[in-house]
Amino acid sequence: MFSLRLALQSVIKEKWMSLLSMLSIGVMLFILVSVAVIVYNVEKLTARLPERLTVMVILKDGVTSEENKAVLAAIKAEPTVKVVTFVSKEKALDELRRSLKKDDFILKGFADNPLFDSFDVKIKSEGVRVEDVKRLIQKIKSMKAVDDVEYGEALMDSVYALKSGLRALGLSIGIVFVCSVTFICYTTVKILFYRHKEEIEVYKLLGATRWFVRAPFFIEGSIIGIFGGVMGSGMLMGFYYYFLRKLVADIPMFAFMSIPVQFMYMLPAVGMLLGLGGSVLALGRLKY
Amino acid sequence: MRGVPRVARQMIELENVSKTYGGHAALSNVSLKVERGDMAFITGPSGAGKTTLFKLLYLAEKPDEGTITIAGCNAADLKSSSIPLVRRNIGVVFQDFKLLNNKTVYDNIALTLRIRGFMEREIKERVHSVLKMVNLRHKVDNYPLTLSGGEQQRITIARSIVGEPTVMLADEPTGNLDEENEKEIMRIFKQINTKGTTILIATHNRALYKNTARKVFFLEGGILKGEEE
Repeated sequence: MFSLRLALQSVIKEKWMSLLSMLSIGVMLFILVSVAVIVYNVEKLTARLPERLTVMVILKDGVTSEENKAVLAAIKAEPTVKVVTFVSKEKALDELRRSLKKDDFILKGFADNPLFDSFDVKIKSEGVRVEDVKRLIQKIKSMKAVDDVEYGEALMDSVYALKSGLRALGLSIGIVFVCSVTFICYTTVKILFYRHKEEIEVYKLLGATRWFVRAPFFIEGSIIGIFGGVMGSGMLMGFYYYFLRKLVADIPMFAFMSIPVQFMYMLPAVGMLLGLGGSVLALGRLKY
Repeated sequence: MRGVPRVARQMIELENVSKTYGGHAALSNVSLKVERGDMAFITGPSGAGKTTLFKLLYLAEKPDEGTITIAGCNAADLKSSSIPLVRRNIGVVFQDFKLLNNKTVYDNIALTLRIRGFMEREIKERVHSVLKMVNLRHKVDNYPLTLSGGEQQRITIARSIVGEPTVMLADEPTGNLDEENEKEIMRIFKQINTKGTTILIATHNRALYKNTARKVFFLEGGILKGEEE
């Protein structure tokens, strides 16, 4: 309790320095959590990508109805597959003709139906990774009656390349900002320690243990970290109410974006841990 | 305190202690003994080595040679983690008081007990009791800088005895004080000593130890020149 009192007294006494440190930590944690929000939303968006893509399985010409049934059964048995629909080449031609509307005269140049029998395969919406889809396509391609498989491979690959790039960038920014916050706490606590040096000398003469001398600084670093985190949460809340909500209302394309409420609770805890870490580093190698 | 003998005849004992700073011998082969319950003086001109001797006694430094026993502990055997616990048995008074100017008289004295984890109720009782002893109960809420030099020194003494140490070290306790305050400080030391606390006072003021019938050590140039009673 006495250590807590000393720490609070010191934070109040050095209010400008403490406030500046808290503000810097708040801004850094806000940037850090903003990157986390972007990564989180991209992850959320891309997680449902396989579901949005339809895999078209084109069958070879002259496939018998037994072979057709065997392919259908094999695809249906796959755990990632939601629905499989057979599309005959006649039905495909009708659909093409409907989609071409007035331009359907171009089909008149063909004596026979140029299309193939095929299957439309819908992928499940939950728990399917891109790797699973790729594996499924390879498997279908290897079937004897299958001529080719078409899907949004290029789109999927570029989205996933973007996602991994963003993850790496997020991680790098995260490391840099975690180190910066720790460094701010480290510097603040070290300055406070030197400002209290005479007081600490008296404590030592009166028989204070190392822990007694250090505890107020550990608490002080943690307090600065907590309040820095609270400021960061405040900024995140402000960003949500004054920017993101308006952005979603004006541009529906961003409607998928959200900020998990846990991020707001987590920031003060993260701030506290980094503040404590900075204090431990600041006093760790000091001899007194 | 674990490992600390409770009963020892010699409260302060130095055997062939030497200490050198950058080639200059601050103390050379010093041996002296102060028995439990004694009040002794150590005197000599400025630069005689009195302050160095005190630094060794309150374990702020280690001797280059020799052994030091204080409050029943051999300084050489102490781990650094045990030093704070031994210091709790040693009350120290300085010429420059070393009071915390941003804390009240009460908080300055209470600090000794807070460090030891005393409950606030007992702290209050003890602080008022020592303030009564040094006749400064009415100054309990004052800050050190609002007090005279003599009063500040009495607060320092109160702070050093509130933890009931077995040994008290006073380095030039009356160095900056007038004759009246000097007498008051010595009265307090005698009163503490009658309660059984061993006291060693460093001073270059002859008036303090003259006609006291106490043990006096003469130190000069880091060498113990003599001892008389």
